[in-house]
Amino acid sequence: MKVIACYSMKGGVGKTATAVNLAYFAAKAGKRTLLIDLDPQGASSFYFRVKPSSKKWGERFFKAYKTLVKNIKASDFENLDVIPAHLSFRNFDSMLSDLKKRENRLKRLLKGFRKEYDLVILDCPPSISFLSESIFTASDVVLVPVIPTTLSERTFDQLVRFFQENKYPLKKIVPFFSMVQAQKSLHKSTMEAMSTRRKVFLKATVPYSSDIEKMGQHKAPVDLFARSTAANDSYRKLWDEISRKHL
Amino acid sequence: MNPALEKTWLLKNALEDSELASVLEAGFRVEIDPAVTSDLTIHDDFDADLWGADLMLCRVDKGRLKLLHGRDVVGEVRAPAKAKFWWDLPDGEVKDLLKKRIGLRAFMPIASLTLIDTPFALRNDDEKIVARGRISQSVVGDDSQYYLSLQELRGYRKEAQKARKLLKPLLDQDIPDFGLKAMLVRQCPETGQREAQKEVQLLPDMPTELAVRTMATGMIDHAVTHVDGIIADTDTVFLHQFRVSVRKLRSLISLLKKALPAQSVESVAPRLSGIAGKTSRLRDLDVFLLDKKHYQDMLPDSHAQGLDELYVQVEKQRQLEKNRLARYLASKQFQNDISDCRSELSETPAYLSPLSRKPIQGVARSLLIKRFRKIESMSAQLHADSDDEQVHDIRKEFKKLRYLIEFFIELLPKKRTARLLKNLKQLQVTLGDFNDYCVQIDFLSGFEDEAQIEMTKALSGLIAVLHIRQIESRRQVEAALARFFTKDMALQIELAFGTKNRGESR
Repeated sequence: MKVIACYSMKGGVGKTATAVNLAYFAAKAGKRTLLIDLDPQGASSFYFRVKPSSKKWGERFFKAYKTLVKNIKASDFENLDVIPAHLSFRNFDSMLSDLKKRENRLKRLLKGFRKEYDLVILDCPPSISFLSESIFTASDVVLVPVIPTTLSERTFDQLVRFFQENKYPLKKIVPFFSMVQAQKSLHKSTMEAMSTRRKVFLKATVPYSSDIEKMGQHKAPVDLFARSTAANDSYRKLWDEISRKHL
Repeated sequence: MNPALEKTWLLKNALEDSELASVLEAGFRVEIDPAVTSDLTIHDDFDADLWGADLMLCRVDKGRLKLLHGRDVVGEVRAPAKAKFWWDLPDGEVKDLLKKRIGLRAFMPIASLTLIDTPFALRNDDEKIVARGRISQSVVGDDSQYYLSLQELRGYRKEAQKARKLLKPLLDQDIPDFGLKAMLVRQCPETGQREAQKEVQLLPDMPTELAVRTMATGMIDHAVTHVDGIIADTDTVFLHQFRVSVRKLRSLISLLKKALPAQSVESVAPRLSGIAGKTSRLRDLDVFLLDKKHYQDMLPDSHAQGLDELYVQVEKQRQLEKNRLARYLASKQFQNDISDCRSELSETPAYLSPLSRKPIQGVARSLLIKRFRKIESMSAQLHADSDDEQVHDIRKEFKKLRYLIEFFIELLPKKRTARLLKNLKQLQVTLGDFNDYCVQIDFLSGFEDEAQIEMTKALSGLIAVLHIRQIESRRQVEAALARFFTKDMALQIELAFGTKNRGESR
């Protein structure tokens, strides 16, 4: 079983759309996939129309595997289950701060799924926190959407530095360009500069697209309502490249 | 990933889509997909080996076969209509599984049904699918049965319970393990019920003549079930099984002839011998054709052409021999011979000899001990320079010993007999190898033809290789016999079949 975390310190870079569409294509390719929505805003749960149970079970998230299992919900798609986010997930950091060996908590928890699933995709909240440290330890791939702008470049560099300072394996970081506007010269030049400087950038890029924005309206992955679009094609290619190189 | 929990019920009546929707609309938004119709022809071998292993081989169209295990699809393969053996299929899981389950048997159509599946999904207010279901109409001839399956999706148990409650008035009984097999059992109850060899219930106190007659008629019936398959040339196992039944029957009558009236034995034995004799040639040809790869591996590639020529000859002979045997099996002569044997053996016991009245268990045990001692003494006389005939005689005696055990196995102590059979089988492999090489050399010698130089060269090559193997296996015979006839084995035989009956407890 492999774990991919869709992660960025910055919000609004396309993490959730990536997590949702990747999970969908992984399941379509026959991988038994579990999407865990760790972001209390619950956007990826929303895209799959999955609601959490009303109980504040987030308090037990890191303590009881059985509780976690109970909260798994089938998506509308074969091979794809979802653990929806709950508002109580916003307290993850204070929960983790009380726990010993907190960095390993998530990893140990996810181990329980290794017989049931081939792939776990984590949709992560945008922060650097105890939770993200737990995520970095638990994941095989930290997939980072990067908008090709100077500010995003800076944020990405901060993440790399954080990994170096805390001795997380750098090879886990797999960045790709997200929300790309090919007509913008800034985007073009940033992409060229960054991918020259950092060879780890994936070849697949995801464009800025109104089709992706419409996911909220359709409450579904792009493939379901905009199959023959560049946006959908970009997620398919992203999945192909990740599965080929990293799974 | 946990599979969705699915339950299936028989429906009380046929169900229109609109009825289904109106029943479920009280709790869900119902989405009904268009119906999918599949015409399925189920295949199995004569022994219903696939049915027994919970496998369903279905022809889904002219060019494709699908193999199901329970409800899971093992695979779907391209298969022309004439495909009937595992080796006719492309490499993959389906081929491997059929090879394992049916071996040399042919698969053939055993039942047909038309399946009309109408899937539906139930959505909640968020438009999320919270349960799935399916109406299945199974049509066999004029008979239709209707089933409803409901799938509980992970995390949506309450919704499934609610759907079940709404559907309750439409449902008849639960169908556990629903699938093609369950549908066939309901509509074609004879499917999978192949006529296996009748289980003969032997009781320890049964008079020997009655026991022999009961077993013998069972063997005749079993042999006869294979005749149609031989005539149709469905597969080579029909002939093999027919020959095994006849051979066992002959062995039974020969070993226990004193339990039957002499005139019965005189009438039956030559008839059975005649029948067996007429089937030998075709079986030899079958064995050679089935072992093609084995023979190819024996020779260098330079002999490939000669070997191909030989196979052409053998194929031709097989065709002639198969037709000849089919004519014989369809003839009045065969019908009369078999029916005479059956009526002779199914007569009421006459109890003319003292042995005929004796309880079968004691008789069987004493025969086993006697046979064992006889073979032990024959084996003791065997040495490196003994005639091959002596080895063949010992092999035949061992075969009779094995048959005797198999005939009366239910009257013998289980564990000791199982251990003995295991040792016996190991020894029979060595003796069988030696015999096979002799038979193969004889068989091949019959094809030598100076006009076909390449073929004769290939034949000479094969005979030379087989001759060396025959010598090697002959060398192993004495050692194998020595391993079998130990002091412990004599004790085991005594404990298992002796009069002391100490073997009963183990």
